[in-house]
Amino acid sequence: MNDSIVPSVLSVSEHLNQSVLVAVSVTVAAPLLGAIVSSLGFGRRSPRLLAVTAAAISLVSSLAITVLWSLSDGRPIGYGAYMGGGRLLFVDGLTAVLLPYVALVGLAILLIAPRRSLEQAAVTRILFGTAATASLFVTSHPLAMVVLWIMTSLPTWISTKATPGGRPAARVFLIAMTAALSCMALGTVCMLVDPPWETASGWVGTTGGWLVAIAVMVRKGIVPFHSWYPALYAGAPMSTALSATMPQVAAYTAVRLLIGHADGVASELVMLSQMALITAAYGGALAMVQRDLRGLIGTLAMSQSAMVLAGLSGTLPMELNGALCMWISSGLSLTGIGLATWALESRAGVISLDTPQGRFWDAPALAAFFLLFGLACIGLPGSLSFVADDLIVSGSLDEQLHAGLLVILSTVLSGIAIMRGWFYVFGGPTTADGTRHAILLRERVAMLALLFAIFSLGLFPAPLVQSLDRTAQELLGTQRDSPSPRGQQSPTDSNGVELHNASGER
Amino acid sequence: MNNHDLVSLLVVCQLAAPAATLILIGLPSLVGRPLPERATTRIVGTGFLIGFLAGIVTLLFLAARDFRPEVVHLGTWFSVGHHEATIELVADGLSLPYVCFSTGLCGLVNAFAGKYLHREPGFTRFFVLLALFGTGMNLMVLAGSIDVLFAGWEFLGISSALLIGFFHERSNAVNAAIRAFTTYRICDVGLLTAGVVVHAAVGSGDFARLFVEDWPNGACLVSPTIATIVSFLLVFAAMGKSAQVPFSAWLPRAMEGPTPSSAIFYGALSIHAGAYVLLRCEALLEQAPLAQLALIVIGIGTAIHASVVGRVQTDLKSMLAYASMTQAGIIFVEIGLGWRVIPLVHVVSHAIVRSLQILRSPSALHDRHELEAALGGHPGAGGWSLGSLLPEKIQTRLYRIALERGFEEMAVGRFVVGPVLQSLKMAAAAERKWVAWLGGARP
Repeated sequence: MNDSIVPSVLSVSEHLNQSVLVAVSVTVAAPLLGAIVSSLGFGRRSPRLLAVTAAAISLVSSLAITVLWSLSDGRPIGYGAYMGGGRLLFVDGLTAVLLPYVALVGLAILLIAPRRSLEQAAVTRILFGTAATASLFVTSHPLAMVVLWIMTSLPTWISTKATPGGRPAARVFLIAMTAALSCMALGTVCMLVDPPWETASGWVGTTGGWLVAIAVMVRKGIVPFHSWYPALYAGAPMSTALSATMPQVAAYTAVRLLIGHADGVASELVMLSQMALITAAYGGALAMVQRDLRGLIGTLAMSQSAMVLAGLSGTLPMELNGALCMWISSGLSLTGIGLATWALESRAGVISLDTPQGRFWDAPALAAFFLLFGLACIGLPGSLSFVADDLIVSGSLDEQLHAGLLVILSTVLSGIAIMRGWFYVFGGPTTADGTRHAILLRERVAMLALLFAIFSLGLFPAPLVQSLDRTAQELLGTQRDSPSPRGQQSPTDSNGVELHNASGER
Repeated sequence: MNNHDLVSLLVVCQLAAPAATLILIGLPSLVGRPLPERATTRIVGTGFLIGFLAGIVTLLFLAARDFRPEVVHLGTWFSVGHHEATIELVADGLSLPYVCFSTGLCGLVNAFAGKYLHREPGFTRFFVLLALFGTGMNLMVLAGSIDVLFAGWEFLGISSALLIGFFHERSNAVNAAIRAFTTYRICDVGLLTAGVVVHAAVGSGDFARLFVEDWPNGACLVSPTIATIVSFLLVFAAMGKSAQVPFSAWLPRAMEGPTPSSAIFYGALSIHAGAYVLLRCEALLEQAPLAQLALIVIGIGTAIHASVVGRVQTDLKSMLAYASMTQAGIIFVEIGLGWRVIPLVHVVSHAIVRSLQILRSPSALHDRHELEAALGGHPGAGGWSLGSLLPEKIQTRLYRIALERGFEEMAVGRFVVGPVLQSLKMAAAAERKWVAWLGGARP
């Protein structure tokens, strides 16, 4: 009887893996096809319809990955060439959680984007960027990641450059990305030649580790390489700034290339952790004195993104778990704030924070959404960020007291900045011309969807936290059982990854 | 259903009823279909009534059992490794009086505000915030762990700041709201850090690990060092919410909000939130004489400051704000002296009297004007005061100090807030210059 059960269990597992593969393909292919169709000039009359359809398909299939993953035995799935501890197509708990997040952010951006910002070229860029980001989140192959870093940066640079008055920001972005990509490419090659997690590793591997760490710092806007972050928010369209920063491509890279091999890059991770903590507090402090709303969002995004890296660079599963929760919660909240700002700007123009602007009368619904997203961003009880803060602070304290205190300081400063921003945008004598700008249905739907995600995950965090805990354990387990990087493959490697050849066979 | 299940159900009702009203009136507004005024006040009123009745029944039930505490375990919210976030509520001789008078007062203010704010543009917003406040207050006082307490504490701070800025078209209200929220947030560091220290010390935020939950006869379960550190952090947190010197400047400005919210927040409940936290952790304070001494000094300082400054205020609500501050200072002294029941009685009685005074203040002014019109002049000077015994020179000096609000704001602004903000502005300006240079701008 047992004999009959075991094959059927195996076949179910294989079937699930095949389904995950199909869902991954759809998640990446839908926005990519959308971008191709858009670039060919189809859907010119209703670019939003085309874009939203592609993004919605991507979201649904990414949710399918999450569901399938929760039904599977939880072992990572790897396909394709194996190199430097990574595989061309790699799906684990992290991917299963982050892909829907990336897709939801993309869909919300497309739903809320003002009509004039959604011309054919913009749609093509946004969809291409979404496809590139989704591709990056399903690989752990170092060289593929280098290529995808370039692919995800290009639409941002082109879009910023094409924006009226955006050339300075595009230039700053170009400088930062050139530095980041150079370090990333060189560092990856060094790490492949001389893997730092191997006992016989020499200076080449160490240099590689440091270069990749610096690349992560630049791409994540960590002090002293943070200047491009607020500059991008100030000069680029909101869709571009959000698409470039919210998925946190560098954090994903750090997980795959550094945190997965922490034994070999311990000093680099300590440096990343300390600088990220400083950035989190510094960003929160800077946000308090910003003179315009975009500056506020840029510095807040910088602070929150640094907090994610600070948690990721920890050595305890709890910290990693908190960082992953923070990744999702801060991303969704900041996307909501950014989109509410964008919707407000499309009605009222650039919003200064020098004096109270009195926009409440004009847009009460946007005021409510902005406030809820803002509170969700700073750890409102009931939101996912409350859970994330709790885990990061508790985890940090288990390791070092000053880390926990810096996280608290950052949360406090960000909270003051958010509330000051809200009161200065919506409070004060009304400057509206007498006509109220009602919130559009698509804007309301997108914002409600983001809020639903933030608060449902915050009120019932146990499934997400448990799933992320398993992922965190796996990631930290990797450092203890570092794989031999080249050639030594087995049906199940030391990462617990189910190994397949390029065609997907075991 | 046994006694424990019955108490559990009643305690859950106390928390769930106001929370349900928050959802019932908040969600329709969020989807663009706010409820009519009458439905809004009825829903909120019903929620508070259920909470109040549940509180009274539980209180009577516990009174019959000599106030033996009942711990209600609502489950584990989430857990990672050894870290568990549990939701535990405590019904005892401290939490239930607080629940009863807070839900009772919220219900009364709900009834008052239904008329007072009739056709006000922010009508629904006020009741959403009132429901949020009621939920937060009950969550805080029923909390069986420092984590749950912090969640309620946060709701209080947020709803308070938003209600101060309720009349958002007035710049003064906006600035007052930002000032209040900033003060709260800075003092929240105390509670957050206390939570972290408690977790680090005993591995959980549950009060049961810190002290024997048998209020007012609790006994400390941690070392004096931990008790002292946590006590000082809690005192710091309480100073902000209860407007103690040097964090008191926000309170008189908080009266920019609508009268019903001023009554319930700054006359009755919010200002006593700090006192509640200190009373809840009284067993820790007993092990921390230095923290008790600090409480006494802070309380006396605040009481004297508020009493002196309050005498020269020219508007009724500011006078009442300073009067509240004076009483809060005295309550701090009482807690610092190690008393337990007297501060609780003081809190409840002061809350009731002060909220009545604040609610009455608009019509009292109206009555006063009518009286003056009828008499054809001022009805006469006030009575004798202790201050008149002081030499005239000192009286004049005190008068000047009072007019400057004890130089408290000036000192905090000049020596703390000003330099910090100036440094940050300089850093932000330097950042802008650097980005401009990187972006190709050349001088």
